[in-house]
Amino acid sequence: MTLKRNVRSRFVRFIGKKLREDRTTLQVYSRDMSDLPSLVSIFFKNIPDGVILASSVEDIQTIYSIANETKTPITQRAAGTAGLGGSVTYNGGLVVDTKGFEQKFFFDPLEQTVTINPSYVFSDLQRELKLQGLSLCSYPSSYHSATIGGWIAHGGHGIGSAQYGGALEQIVELEVVLPTGHLVKYTERDHISLFVGSHGTLGTITEVTLRVKFDIPLKHQGCTFDSPEELVKGLGEIATTFPHSVWFLNPKHVESFNETFGYNLPNRYVAIISKEVSFEEEEMEFNRLFNNAIRNAGGQILDRRYTEDIWKFRFRSLSMLKHCSDYVVSEVILPIESSDKYIRKLISKFKGNIHLEGEFISPTHYALLIYVLSEEKMSSLKKTLLNLKLFKLSLKSKKVKGYPYSTGLWFSGFYGQIYGKDELRRYKEFKKSVDPKNISNPGKVLSPKFRFFPIVSLKFVVKLASRFML
Amino acid sequence: MIMSSLTDWHVDVLEYAQKCIYCGYCSLCPTYKELKWETNHPRGILEQIKLYFSEGTKENVKLEVSKTLFEAVFACTMCKACENICLVDIPLIKIWEQVRQESFKKGRWSPSMLSLYNKVKDTQNIFGLPPEERLIWAKLSGLVMTRRVKKKAPLAYFVGCQASYSGKMSEIAPSVVKILRKTKTNFTILGNDEWCCGSPIFLAGGYSVGKSFAKHNLDELKKLGVKRIVTACSGCYRAFKIVYPRVLGESWDFEVLHISELANELIQSGKLKLKKQIKEKVTFKDPCELVRHCGLIEAPRNVINSIPNVRFEELPSNKEEALCCGGGGLLKLNDSDLGNKVNSKLISEIKYSEADIVANGCPTCLDTIQAGVKKEGLDIEVIDIAELILRAMGEKK
Ligand SMILES: Cc1cc2nc3c(=O)[nH]c(=O)nc-3n(C[C@H](O)[C@H](O)[C@H](O)COP(=O)(O)OP(=O)(O)OC[C@H]3O[C@@H](n4cnc5c(N)ncnc54)[C@H](O)[C@@H]3O)c2cc1C
Repeated sequence: MTLKRNVRSRFVRFIGKKLREDRTTLQVYSRDMSDLPSLVSIFFKNIPDGVILASSVEDIQTIYSIANETKTPITQRAAGTAGLGGSVTYNGGLVVDTKGFEQKFFFDPLEQTVTINPSYVFSDLQRELKLQGLSLCSYPSSYHSATIGGWIAHGGHGIGSAQYGGALEQIVELEVVLPTGHLVKYTERDHISLFVGSHGTLGTITEVTLRVKFDIPLKHQGCTFDSPEELVKGLGEIATTFPHSVWFLNPKHVESFNETFGYNLPNRYVAIISKEVSFEEEEMEFNRLFNNAIRNAGGQILDRRYTEDIWKFRFRSLSMLKHCSDYVVSEVILPIESSDKYIRKLISKFKGNIHLEGEFISPTHYALLIYVLSEEKMSSLKKTLLNLKLFKLSLKSKKVKGYPYSTGLWFSGFYGQIYGKDELRRYKEFKKSVDPKNISNPGKVLSPKFRFFPIVSLKFVVKLASRFML
Repeated sequence: MIMSSLTDWHVDVLEYAQKCIYCGYCSLCPTYKELKWETNHPRGILEQIKLYFSEGTKENVKLEVSKTLFEAVFACTMCKACENICLVDIPLIKIWEQVRQESFKKGRWSPSMLSLYNKVKDTQNIFGLPPEERLIWAKLSGLVMTRRVKKKAPLAYFVGCQASYSGKMSEIAPSVVKILRKTKTNFTILGNDEWCCGSPIFLAGGYSVGKSFAKHNLDELKKLGVKRIVTACSGCYRAFKIVYPRVLGESWDFEVLHISELANELIQSGKLKLKKQIKEKVTFKDPCELVRHCGLIEAPRNVINSIPNVRFEELPSNKEEALCCGGGGLLKLNDSDLGNKVNSKLISEIKYSEADIVANGCPTCLDTIQAGVKKEGLDIEVIDIAELILRAMGEKK
């Protein structure tokens, strides 16, 4: 128990049994999806001092009120799947688990919107929507676990983003408890955009109204390419067919895919393209456009019997991790146009032993997941070094106008690179006005000071380490 | 005879816990959805396993971890939704069973758990009722079973504790028997020598007693020259299909059928004719132990769809995605309030389906759904699939 007595008693008085401080609970809440080596913990204090399972707006307001009074940092956590350390404490304090919110589902058939609380898991929401003949516009491939709130705060994209955009484009209204304790509802894009990708640093999302759509059937096509250059050319051509989703794998990843799911896909770059089609003519038009696109790019069309099946595995690609003993992951966003050089670089740096998986986030950009797998359990030092190497390579994407997927903790300090300098300025101004004591998820988005040497930032230390330790 | 030992039964829980990639897909766990603490999340339980089972963990830390760890594994309905969705194939059910065993070894079972264990051990049934009353169901339904008891036959009907003793399940066994008689199927029952299949004992983590039960039932069935076993209880079915082969090895060489599978077979061969219409809208609740543990999906649907002009409607969550009734994994015994909460989600799906009849293949589901339907004041009939078959045969109860 490391909460100060007066702080503890304030929380216990107002929050009661929703606060837990036993060692086991704290340990369980000390990580998110990223399995980081223990060495990394010298950079931050990932074990919280307490965990609160919040269940209402009032809880969040009370938490902020006491946190402000006592200068206790709070870190929101939803499903903990974002993997960038956003839901892990940087310097202790309280984790606020938002999964405790009661499920709220309000469907407005006229507006085609749905109002829900942020702890709704995508698959649960989609099930409810399907019963009404509707569907989510876009969703992450962590569909079975990720929450809407976490996705928004993480600045997510996903399947369907090529057509409907990322989290930002789905939101009609956002209800937030600001760190000041005020409950605000935002409908203006300018305001909403501040919260998308802000990792809870500007407040806690308590309700979301999302745009939804009719559940239109999807048709899938598949194709293969020989080289990164051909792939990138092909992706550019495919973008002109206005796809719903484009998902692709590099040959190394295809190899794992075949091994994991028992397929015999060619050892090339494989892409699966999906498009909404309501009637036959539309499907014929899609096939025509698709065939032209692939012909222009010099690719080959994949047997259609495969494509439906492969699509079904879109939520299961991490299954290939069962064949390895350890792994390191990173993710960047790249413009389609110039990304072949970057892909080549990644492959050469790891001598081909790298798994790549891409998903369109817009007609011009895609997210690239980068995995390095190891057959043996890595030592803490080796894993730290590999993480740093991947970190460094992720930053190198800047050369082709790429950027890290999101900030969280690992990429804190890169908000400007992701969203632009103007947005960074707006973000900083807003942060200052609503959270002057910096209690709402400190250490995320903007780089915190290094704990053991607080005149330099964490970003500086990590960058330095990635340069000199390798 | 090759039989497994406790060591064979065990999996390396720590190694598996370390394989978890933390994708969180197992958040579909029905009790985690109610309790909402990460310590009840299957991946959170694996985190606790890492702490508890790691070499060098100090005893005081172990003790502290065990409090939440044991509580969490006993709050599990063993519905297997977590294991089925796991991206890296972690055998979670085996792991939960093993942690339950660890809690037994450490003397940390709850009093209700111990009481069940002792009842089963002493009376070979879960109710602690006299073993010589195992045929009470036949007596109460006016069926004379003397010529069937312990007679040599290729098929044995394993009645199970709930259908044998519980008044709430009183229609199940007579329905099965009538189906078998009407189709002129040669069968036997073990009568008073039928012992609990051991499923609750295994689920609780009691290995040795469970194994002695399995051994007893094996010997009795062998004596009668039985080749196939039919049951209408999903717990017994799972025990015979999955647990007994693990415990008894190759000596357990019976074909195991659920009543829906046998009925389906009899329909296909023309021996069973479903000729009476059932006008009410019917839905089927897949019992977790049938669908997720044993992969039984089609047989009950084929049977229901063979009923003339049947109006069959799937529940919104069906087949492998079926919701848990909240009664499994001994949760009803350990925390009935939590079980009821889990159950209420299933009841709202049943309500949504607007079915008049909910058929299923598990006495525990039957019991919990009946209670949930009653609590909600719904006008829905909850019956076992054997009863539905009998009705469609045009037979009186
Ligand atoms: C198999 C797999 C596939 C994935 N695929 C995708 C993908 O396609 N696209 C994608 O974008 N991501 C993907 N991810 C990453 C991740 O799942 C998503 O970004 C997800 O939306 C994060 O949601 P979460 O509920 O897990 O949030 P968490 O990880 O718990 O939190 C994310 C951030 O949001 C903050 N936060 C959480 N709740 C709130 C709240 N109520 N208010 C304010 N801040 C809050 C947290 O502090 C943290 O900084 C994938 C992950 C996995 C494991």
